[in-house]
Order: sequence, then C-alpha cells, then structure tokens
Amino acid sequence: MTRMVTVNLKINGKQYSEEAEPRLLLVHFIRDALKLKGTHIGCDTGHCGACTILWDGKPVKSCQILAVQAEGANIMTVEGLEPEDGKLSIEQESFRENFAQQCGYCTPGFLMMTRYLIRNNEEMTREEIREKLHGNYCMCTGYQQIVDAVQDAQRKYFATKK
Amino acid sequence: MYPKSFEYLRAKSVDQALQYLKDNEGSRVIAGGQSLLPMLKSRLYQPTVLVDINFIPELREVKLGSNGDLRIGAMVTHYDVIENSTIRENAPILSSTAENIADVQIRNRGTIGGSICEADPSADYLPTLMALDARVVLKTTESSREVKVEDFIQGPFETLAEDGEMLVEVIVPPSKANYRVEKYARRKADFAIASVAAIVSLSKDGKVVDARIATGAQQDKPHRLREIESALKGKASKSVNLEAIIGPATEELEPLDDLHGGPEYRKHVLRGMLSRMLGDLLSGKEA
Ligand SMILES: Cc1cc2nc3c(=O)[nH]c(=O)nc-3n(C[C@H](O)[C@H](O)[C@H](O)COP(=O)(O)OP(=O)(O)OC[C@H]3O[C@@H](n4cnc5c(N)ncnc54)[C@H](O)[C@@H]3O)c2cc1C
Ligand code: FES
Ligand code: FES
Repeated sequence: MTRMVTVNLKINGKQYSEEAEPRLLLVHFIRDALKLKGTHIGCDTGHCGACTILWDGKPVKSCQILAVQAEGANIMTVEGLEPEDGKLSIEQESFRENFAQQCGYCTPGFLMMTRYLIRNNEEMTREEIREKLHGNYCMCTGYQQIVDAVQDAQRKYFATKK
Repeated sequence: MYPKSFEYLRAKSVDQALQYLKDNEGSRVIAGGQSLLPMLKSRLYQPTVLVDINFIPELREVKLGSNGDLRIGAMVTHYDVIENSTIRENAPILSSTAENIADVQIRNRGTIGGSICEADPSADYLPTLMALDARVVLKTTESSREVKVEDFIQGPFETLAEDGEMLVEVIVPPSKANYRVEKYARRKADFAIASVAAIVSLSKDGKVVDARIATGAQQDKPHRLREIESALKGKASKSVNLEAIIGPATEELEPLDDLHGGPEYRKHVLRGMLSRMLGDLLSGKEA
C-alpha cells in the first residue's frame, strides 16, 4: 500500500484536510471524498471540460490533476457559484434564461468557464467566446444558446459594475 | 481510469527535486501533468515515485540574462508565456505560439518545460524554439549542461535527458524580427497536422538577411528546413520564386501517418502553409 498524503485545501471558502492516495485524481477527491457531486467527469482524458474548476481563480481540468497536488490550493466548484441558498448566480440565471442546457451534463464546466471569462475579459464577441470555450464539449445544445448565455451573463455582470 | 500506484514526493527546491530523482529509481518528474496524467492513466508510464516540481517558485521565473537572452523557468505555464511582457517583447513568436496550444484550461496548467520534455512530434513549442535557436539547461545533483532544443529532441517522446536529469530553464536568444507561426488542425484544441514557425528579416533594400524556418507534425520530430533557409538568404525578396524552392525542399520528407492525417495530406498542407506564410514575410507584411 502506498503512503497516504494529507491534503489541506480550500474549496468554496471552506477549509478541508483529507487523506488521499497519490494516484487519486482531484476530480474523484472532490466528488467522492468531499461529496461535492456538482463537478462532472465526461471523458477523463482532458478533452471535454465537464470537470472544470477554478484554481486560484483560473479554470483547470480536475481530471488532469492529482489530488495531492492541490495542497494549499484555493478552489471553486460549481457549488460555490450560488451567492446564497436558493438564489442563482448571474451565470446560472443566464444559462436558465437562454435555454443553454439540455441534459445538463456539461453545464458545471461551462458555468465555471463563464464565471472566469466574463470577469477577465473586455466585452467578448461571439467568435471570441467560441474560441475560449473550445476546451468544453456539449453534445446537446449545438453551442448557440451557450454563447447567448455567456454574452448575456457578461452584460449582466458589467451592469452590476456600473 | 486509475494510474498504477506510486509514491508522491513534493519538492520545495531544485536541489531537493534532484536529490529525490537521484535517490529513487524509477522516479519521474510531474510538471503540469497535462501530458503525464493521460500516460499514467493508460499505464504507458508506471513510475514508482512522482517528484512534484510545482512547489518550486524559482522554476516559475522569467528573467533577462546579462547578454539579453531570455531565461524562462521550466514551470512557466503556457498562460504565462502568452501574458508575460518580458517574453512578449523579446520573443513575440513564442507568445503567439502558446496561443495555439490546446485550450484555456490546459494552458493554465501545462508548462514549457513539460512540453519540451514530452517531445511530442506535434507539440507547438518545438518548431518555434528550434527557429529561435533556443537551448535548455539540464541539471542533476552533480552536473549542469546546456543543450540546443534541436539536439535535445531525439524522436517521438524521446529526449537526451538522462535518469536523474531535470530541465530547469529554457534559454531563448531574443528575436524581434518579423515572424509567422501557424498550426493546422481539424479542431483548434487538437495537436497539429502540420505546423510552421518562420522568422525572416529583410534589409532596408529588401534583401533577405536572415531566415529561420522549422516545421512540426511532419516527421518523428520537428526540424529546421535548412534547404529553404539557405535558398532564401541573400536573395532580393521580390525575386524569390517560392514554389520552385518549396517543392524540391520538401520532396524528401516522409510525414507521419496516423488517424489525424496521412503523409501525402500532411505534406500538401505543409507546402500550402509555407508558400502563404513565407510569401507574406518576403513581402514584409507585419504579423
Ligand atoms: C486535451 C489536450 C490537448 C492538448 N493540445 C496540445 C496542443 O494543441 N499543442 C501542444 O503543444 N500541446 C498540447 N497538449 C499538451 C500540453 O501542452 C502539455 O501541457 C504539455 O505537453 C506538457 O506539459 P506539462 O507541464 O503538463 O508536463 P507533464 O505532463 O507534467 O510532463 C510531461 C513529461 O515531461 C516530463 N517532465 C516534465 N517537466 C520536466 C522537467 N522540468 N524536467 C524533466 N522532465 C520533465 C514528465 O516526467 C513527463 O514525462 C495537449 C494536452 C491535452 C491534455
Ligand atoms: S472529464 Fe476532465 S476534461 Fe473531460
Ligand atoms: S447539455 Fe447535454 S452535453 Fe451539454
């Protein structure tokens, strides 16, 4: 049996300290050890983006990182988006209003990308949004409504800054 | 998919990482993990120990050497290569290259050192670094050496790095000359079917002073196209017949054959890219 390693990290503002086997993927750690099931696993090869989380504010794919590497990390998962219980964040609201999800499997990844993109870019064109989302696959929507939702979310976000 | 079990060691300094590598047979470095994780999951690699170099601040530095050379730490991410102003000013072609790699998420995690050590024949950095005449600094507990990227890459997933040796720095001689760097792939996040990095400087009267051109995703490793370079050097840019140069110079290439593209197709794409990109550079069009 390989030596277990204690991982201390912050997720959605809460501090955790858990043991992990070195080969455990961060996405499994988040889902199975910490029971945060919002982050999905689509491909497990780094292609689909369903497992996207924010790590120190930047999106990364949690199936491509070992849990033990997250020591000291400050992580946000889709559960962390809600400003308070029962309310939707700007990103969630925009996805809902624009019908940007069908089965919803890809949605957590797209929401985390949206959170990052609308805050870290000037107003994006549709072309730019597509370009920045090419690490996220959606098998249902055809992407049109997702691009609508991201544009809408950015408008809403900018409006809160005025 | 689970990797085979391994021990995990978190290095806090370069010296500690080198010591860990030396003390543990069958150990391997983990950088961004963006190439390594798939290799571990598919069990193509089964290291006994992983030495994590993510917690070593000095490997994330970008500096200018006293002679003007850029010194880029092994753990500088693709994202940083795009954003870092020192890199942008001194080797803009390198920043443009990083924009072509994978997607936003992978660029936040993947590193320049990891990409070089992976030695994928289609990796985007390699042709650019070869065109820039870049070198890598390799260290063990006892030694330190500098090797040209062109020599360091031996073949698909093969480098000159020996057991216990770690890439710590990439040295890039500055280049502000006009350039083009492009990759052709079916989807943007895919590895290239053909890629070209070209740096061309023209004199005031339109002569080609310097031409450095490299291609990737063609053979078992990226390489310079020296026949084309020497055919261009010294010529008046207006009088060059590119088609007459590119055809014969690429005749001998035996491109890769895989599910992304067959050899004829890859060569056809390469020739098209060369003719358009070099045409632009010879006419002096800025990027
Ligand atoms: C979906 C996907 C799409 C991608 N698309 C592209 C693309 O379009 N273009 C492209 O160029 N790349 C692409 N990549 C690869 C990506 O750029 C990786 O980031 C890069 O190849 C490896 O860097 P890393 O830091 O993740 O290295 P790791 O995966 O950590 O390491 C790679 C290898 O190098 C060794 N190593 C790493 N660092 C060192 C060091 N300092 N010293 C000695 N050995 C070391 C490791 O042991 C391992 O064998 C893609 C990857 C994925 C998953
Ligand atoms: S599950 Fe991580 S990218 Fe698909
Ligand atoms: S909504 Fe089904 S995969 Fe995107």
